Amino acid sequence: MTLYTLQRPYSSNAWSGLFEELRREMSPTMRASNAAFQGTRGVYPPVNLFETEEGYVLTAELPGVSPDQLDVSIEGSTVTLSGERKIEYAAGNGTAVHRRERQSGTFRRAFELPAEIDLDQAKAVHKNGVLTLTLPKSASSKPRQIEIETR
Amino acid sequence: MSLFKHESKEIETREKAEVTTENTRPGWVFRPDVDILERPDAYVIHADMPGANQETVDINLEKGLLTLDARLVEPDEALRPLHGEYRSGSYHREFRISEDIDSSAVTATMKDGVLELLLPKSAESQPRRIAVAGA
Repeated sequence: MTLYTLQRPYSSNAWSGLFEELRREMSPTMRASNAAFQGTRGVYPPVNLFETEEGYVLTAELPGVSPDQLDVSIEGSTVTLSGERKIEYAAGNGTAVHRRERQSGTFRRAFELPAEIDLDQAKAVHKNGVLTLTLPKSASSKPRQIEIETR
Repeated sequence: MSLFKHESKEIETREKAEVTTENTRPGWVFRPDVDILERPDAYVIHADMPGANQETVDINLEKGLLTLDARLVEPDEALRPLHGEYRSGSYHREFRISEDIDSSAVTATMKDGVLELLLPKSAESQPRRIAVAGA
């Protein structure tokens, strides 16, 4: 079992949670997706990284962060996400906060990808609170087929 | 793989909490984080539902029970996962709301994956200032 499942902090009943996990682990599709879960807990924002034919796709959950509060920079093979998640409520005027679960603050994360990124082709889309970075590999880091001349 | 060069700790990601009720549909169901405010004229609920939009969110108010739901949008199968920190799934959360809410005037807006619900209080329960007339 992965570290991820053992560290789940929120299960009120540790045993039923564990059995539920075991049941899920049995299913081949869940096993495949669990293999990708390598940990890194607590750091904001949570990201998923995928590989495609052309390069990489990085997604991050950033609900309520508008594009002007978000900064994405790419240098060589390093991608940096930084910004601030602001949650402000007009205090006073008889407004009371009954529950506050959503978190706010500044964040910065940098990722070193296995290959250099083609800056001109890289794309960032922020939609429904999910940031999606499409990061094609640069031509120099793509595998090339070299033709063999016969003489 | 030294994927992570720099980590800031100012905000910490909390793992999305799973809904613990019996679920007959396949897939993960998460409980969105919410802020609940009370203004003199209304209650305001903000819910973090990244990935959900106007089309996938379903809000119901029936017999004093307010239910938020968002359907799962299937991820792109062509992508091969290298590293994962969050899971995608549906959202579900219920609130029992007080009787002083005008259920016909409830409105909801969705922006950047955050749902904002405005639950106006009924006219009778809003604070009123009573002017004192001079004798």
